[in-house]
Amino acid sequence: MTHGRAPQQRGALPVPKERAIDFCVNCLRHQFWPSTFDGLTVGAIYALIALGYTLVYGVLRLINFAHSEIFMVGVFASLFTMHGLGAKIGQDPRTGIGLIAFLLAVMLVAMVVSGFTAMAMERIAYRPLRRRGAPRLAALITAIGMSLFLQEVFAARYGRDQLGFPRVMKKSHLFKFQGADIRIDKVVVIVAALVLMIALERFVARSRLGRGIRATAQNAETAQLMGVNVDRVVLLTFLLGGILAGAAGTLYGLFYESAQYNIGFLPGIKAFTAAVLGGIGNVRGALLGGILLGLLENWGSTVLGGQWKDVFAFTVLVLVLMFRPTGLLGESARERA
Amino acid sequence: MLQPRRRATTLVAVLALAALVMAACSSSKKTSTSAGGGKTTYALAYVGPLTGPNASLGINPRNGAQIAIDQANAAGGNITFDLKSFDTQGDPAQAPTVKDKYINDQSILGVVGPTFSGETKAVLPAYEAASLVMISPSATNVALPTVVPGGKSFHRIIPDDDVQGAGVAKYVTTKLAAKNIFYINDNSDYGKGLADGTQKILEAAGTKTSGTDAVDPKSQDFSAAVNKVKAANPKPDVVFYGGYYAEAGRLAKQLTDGGVKSIFMSGDGSLDQGLIDAAGANGAEGAQITCACKLARSTDSGALGAFATAFKAKFSKEPGTYSTEGFDAANMLIAGIKAGNTTRSKLRDYVNGIGTYKGAGKDIAFETNGNVKSGAVFVYAVKSAKLTLVGDATTL
Repeated sequence: MTHGRAPQQRGALPVPKERAIDFCVNCLRHQFWPSTFDGLTVGAIYALIALGYTLVYGVLRLINFAHSEIFMVGVFASLFTMHGLGAKIGQDPRTGIGLIAFLLAVMLVAMVVSGFTAMAMERIAYRPLRRRGAPRLAALITAIGMSLFLQEVFAARYGRDQLGFPRVMKKSHLFKFQGADIRIDKVVVIVAALVLMIALERFVARSRLGRGIRATAQNAETAQLMGVNVDRVVLLTFLLGGILAGAAGTLYGLFYESAQYNIGFLPGIKAFTAAVLGGIGNVRGALLGGILLGLLENWGSTVLGGQWKDVFAFTVLVLVLMFRPTGLLGESARERA
Repeated sequence: MLQPRRRATTLVAVLALAALVMAACSSSKKTSTSAGGGKTTYALAYVGPLTGPNASLGINPRNGAQIAIDQANAAGGNITFDLKSFDTQGDPAQAPTVKDKYINDQSILGVVGPTFSGETKAVLPAYEAASLVMISPSATNVALPTVVPGGKSFHRIIPDDDVQGAGVAKYVTTKLAAKNIFYINDNSDYGKGLADGTQKILEAAGTKTSGTDAVDPKSQDFSAAVNKVKAANPKPDVVFYGGYYAEAGRLAKQLTDGGVKSIFMSGDGSLDQGLIDAAGANGAEGAQITCACKLARSTDSGALGAFATAFKAKFSKEPGTYSTEGFDAANMLIAGIKAGNTTRSKLRDYVNGIGTYKGAGKDIAFETNGNVKSGAVFVYAVKSAKLTLVGDATTL
């Protein structure tokens, strides 16, 4: 075991040149389409989670940091639903109609579980504070508290090691596009995420309840005077964000096949970043930000090496915010959501 | 009225504190405790990380040593053994502070540990001054025997990095007949050190480097690394990963799913069933892990299997990486104490003159500088979702 040892001196051996960053622009030329395809897949998941941050921010001006745990609950709910439906590790993957029905059932359960967790969170952790007129900073602290609480509950109940998903779907390569292997599970992730995002966008833009959300986002007090039940709108917003996070959990589980108590942390941070990048409070912004962040990460790690993935993505974020402080699609504070 | 009473309370508190301190001091000064029935108790110290990011690599050998202690006590006789654990978090900065505790505890006659090279280097001169013998289950830095020139305290059960590197190089170039290697690490001190060190050795042995990359161990997504391996020219025969088992498993799976046919290789940090759990049923199939350690399984035969069975009975899981080495190190010290070497310097002389000791993992003999004579580097392969021993890389 060589932990913590000083670098060794081996005079006889040739020592490769040490460089902090290796630029490999050629790599991007060769791997542009593979990394774009992977970036879209990851970005679609980021975008789904980002919608939860952006919706809640729109109506409450609150960053719900526990949203990453709503996603984590969705991952676990997917895993247990798969177990409940009889999928086991080492089994042959499913195919055809059976597979589609299976995935839809798993996703539905995850959406319901995550949606209810989000609503419960609003009732337990946020509404009581709002009722008493607590400052927004207090809600931020309860958000962090909820996040830690949920993580530790899952760690205590299911252990701290990662749990493997059964392989329910064959990860076969459909065809090659410009050197990129188009893999079926990635296509499923992208298509499912896009369908859900468009559905949400339509819902917020067209339905009566969506109008309530937009009205509350513009001005909660006026909306209340106009007969909008603001508490119900807030609850609905949490439900919607939770449903999307649950769906993201299923897609994530399908793609990466692992669940762990802290699995929400990194995607949560990334999704929050995506929401800010696109303009927090803006539904289309979350979509754009998520996809863009996924692409930037993959392109960045192709050119600079995987260890610079986050540095690259966050540098771009800072640059964007310097020139557009409200994010790419963010508008003046009045017209959010 | 209140003034005198408060003073009285303070006085009582001070007295109580003084009594506590005295009690603590007197208990730690005792050379050996005579328990009922004329039994004498001697202690061994386990020194290594028990908390912190590398805790499992310290807990594994500690638990192995605990089995040795339990078995010695169960065997009867008029000596009782005790294992006292000292947590350094594997940190060279913390090890010197912790060492005062066990060096001043005169009931401790020998040390199993320290676990890592950095912390060993930091405390070795103090061991030498205290005539305290140490047997490390896992420290591999080449320079350790020269920290105290002509020193008598240092011993280790596994060969150093140079021997291990040569063994791995021989295995990769002759047995696997690999020409092109792709190196990935997790950007940790350990993982990057392992990948870079292996790269140097293998390049010196005549292999080509197809490419290198690093991954973020906190992330689930290694697709950028997978794309790089797929695009690498020349195509790698082997993908070598420096890092720990959970990420190694995820990476192996994503490489397999991405259609990469290269052999996945890694080092001691990946030698854990968790690798296969993370990779899924087929994701890590055929992966090769090298480690100078001997992994014990309850299905093994002989002394190794008996150790694993006892370990499983106590800790309800199979032994981990370096558990066998912790068990053997403790047993060597126990044998010395049982033979009547009940002072630190006597026990140290005993270990230096031990000859060949038949351990559960392998036969152990020391060079005069404390290095182990056998240069065995074991290769394990994932077969039918289980880690199985392929053999010794230096003799295959």
